[in-house]
Amino acid sequence: MKFIVSSNTLLKSLLSISGVINTSNTLPILDDFLFELTKDGLMLTTSDLETTMSVQIKPDKSEDPGAVTIPAKILLDTLKTFPDIPITFTIDPANFGIEISAQEGKYKITGHNPKEYPKAPKLEEVKPIMVPSQVLGRAFQKTLFATGNDDLRPVLSGVFCEFTPDDVVFVATDAHKLVRYRRTDTKADESDSFILPKKPLNQLRNILSQEETDVKLEYNQTNARFTFSNVQLICRLIDGKYPNYESVIPAENPNRLTIDRLALLNSIKRIALFANQSTHQVRFKIVGQELTLSAEDIDFSNEAKERLTCSFEGDDMEIGFNSKFMLEMLNNIDEDEIRIEMSAPNRAGILVPASKTEVKEDILMLVMPVMLGK
Amino acid sequence: MLSIARHIVHLDLDSFFVSVERLLNSSLNGKPIIIGGTSDRGVVSSCSYEARKFGVSSAMPMKMARTLCGDAIIIRGDMELYSKYSHMVTDVIAERAPLFEKASIDEHYVDLTGMDRFFGTLKWTRELRKTIINETGLPISFGLSVNKTVSKIATGEAKPNGELEVPGEQVRPFLSPLSISKIPMIGEKTYRLLRSMGVVTIDTLSHIPPEMMEKALGKNGKVIWEKANGIDGTPVIPYSEQKSMSTETTFEQDSIDVVRMREILVKMVEKLTFQLREQQKLTACVTVKIRYSNFDTHTLQQHVAYTSFDHILIPLVKSLFDRLYQRRMLIRLIGVRFSKLVSGSQQLNLFEDSTELVNLYQAMDRIRMRYGRKAVRRGVGI
Repeated sequence: MKFIVSSNTLLKSLLSISGVINTSNTLPILDDFLFELTKDGLMLTTSDLETTMSVQIKPDKSEDPGAVTIPAKILLDTLKTFPDIPITFTIDPANFGIEISAQEGKYKITGHNPKEYPKAPKLEEVKPIMVPSQVLGRAFQKTLFATGNDDLRPVLSGVFCEFTPDDVVFVATDAHKLVRYRRTDTKADESDSFILPKKPLNQLRNILSQEETDVKLEYNQTNARFTFSNVQLICRLIDGKYPNYESVIPAENPNRLTIDRLALLNSIKRIALFANQSTHQVRFKIVGQELTLSAEDIDFSNEAKERLTCSFEGDDMEIGFNSKFMLEMLNNIDEDEIRIEMSAPNRAGILVPASKTEVKEDILMLVMPVMLGK
Repeated sequence: MLSIARHIVHLDLDSFFVSVERLLNSSLNGKPIIIGGTSDRGVVSSCSYEARKFGVSSAMPMKMARTLCGDAIIIRGDMELYSKYSHMVTDVIAERAPLFEKASIDEHYVDLTGMDRFFGTLKWTRELRKTIINETGLPISFGLSVNKTVSKIATGEAKPNGELEVPGEQVRPFLSPLSISKIPMIGEKTYRLLRSMGVVTIDTLSHIPPEMMEKALGKNGKVIWEKANGIDGTPVIPYSEQKSMSTETTFEQDSIDVVRMREILVKMVEKLTFQLREQQKLTACVTVKIRYSNFDTHTLQQHVAYTSFDHILIPLVKSLFDRLYQRRMLIRLIGVRFSKLVSGSQQLNLFEDSTELVNLYQAMDRIRMRYGRKAVRRGVGI
């Protein structure tokens, strides 16, 4: 097995899939890239048993099709030092010895038997749906930050995808904050839903936003497969029932605050520096058309207060939020003005863009307050 | 810093628990009073000077105290009440003192170094003492000297209801004739050891070579020697927030009644979670402690996301207890501790904390704040 490939092309492709590799693996071969050379091209694969990601590239020259696995770290570290030059890989199928030659250099490493590399699961009885890469990339980008990390509630560590004949909805929540991202320009033939784990989505998020193509998303009861351009990703779905997110979105929200997003963002950033650094709690007090943000850290006698003008309809109120959540949410909205809709100090607040720039897109964020003392 | 002459005040409330009880019930004045666990297994936590005449002292088993002073009025004691009065005293001091340390429920240190240039430190402290007596009605004594140890010993000499200043040049003459038992670090064992070596007064102790003290008493030997010589560099550490809260119960009789113990645990958690919410705090670490009848003590702890909610902490404490109680042996004591406290309010959960639940907590806490902690309780905890 032998091929010549541009170092830059190879490095770029390997980096796009290397995030799948876990830092510590029980199966040593999972520390490797799987290289498979066929007459169609060179297929590069990584896996952590849950997720398998492949990218296909065209080598400049190739002979003797075959396969081998190459230790990922040393290969990446080597490739990163090269300028864009052609590199020759020569693999001895008998002992999986790999010889890399570039310019005047020769480098030898030992790979492993590709037959030992875990196979990606075969997907049977799949249902397909086509989604534009930009839509999918944006949906993941807007929702991933809100996913949870609690091992006890695995369903919350993923993004819930719901397809209907009217729209597609992506939801993420960690039980304190929630994002619902809806697109009306993409539809499915029949209604269906599943939960995608966050790790593969983080991989896809960056690649998808650079593509302008349609992604073929196929899924069954246990797995999902994304196919687009030269990339294929297969991941296991999170098993379990996603909580009924619609029921926690308060319907009646008579108190509505409209404010400049950046002004609020910067104020919270400043005020949060003075809040307790474990709980990050910031108090919102709205009186008339004035919003007062305040925080204090009793242990260090730190205190801060800031006034902002806003437009507010409803009854004066006081409500406390974790500033971390607020900042994450405000950072993930693109519009200049946002609206916070609230009903009571101990009920969830809704955060939405005040006006829509993208007509086909509907984004809604929800954040649970803290139980303020009297 | 040590080169500057320091001025440290030690303030100690005289037989604090007794004084609080007398404040509320004047018929107790002039009578021997013992405060502590009323059962035979309880210990004396405080006693009046009248009771001390009979040989009663704190930390003595209640049974023995009863034998010594049969006429004494024994009171169960109410820690909540005492800590309320203790807070009042702390507040008075906090308002006036530049730097102070709350050493225990009835003891405070104040660092007046530098203030001597503007006020007479003795005059200032006298005024502080007077203010505390006027505002709280509790008798208090103080010692004023160059460091914490000497001030504390001076307070001991000034009691009851007195004051004593020991300026720098008087430290040695003041300490020399006193018994070594007056040094705060010397407990019964060390006292006996030193007595067996023929050491009676602090004067003798201060003349022993420090190396010999270290040989006889280990690391502490040197510290004790320094104290005997009136040397103590420990600073007054500003009053800091509480880092944990806990409660425990010793049973009247060792028990294996697991059902009852779980009920007691519920009661304990309820008490502590209300304290958390009252002080606007959250806990991130829960510990359950049990002591078997042979005094083997075991603890088990678990971290949680910051919370002060009963419905999260009660099941957690119960499960910790079930995992901890493995040996089929009688239990003597159980306890619950919340640590890793931070100030803040409970973060609500989208799916679990309904508005009704939150309102319920707030309503219960309002009742408790108005009518006392025990006004509303869970049925099992009664």
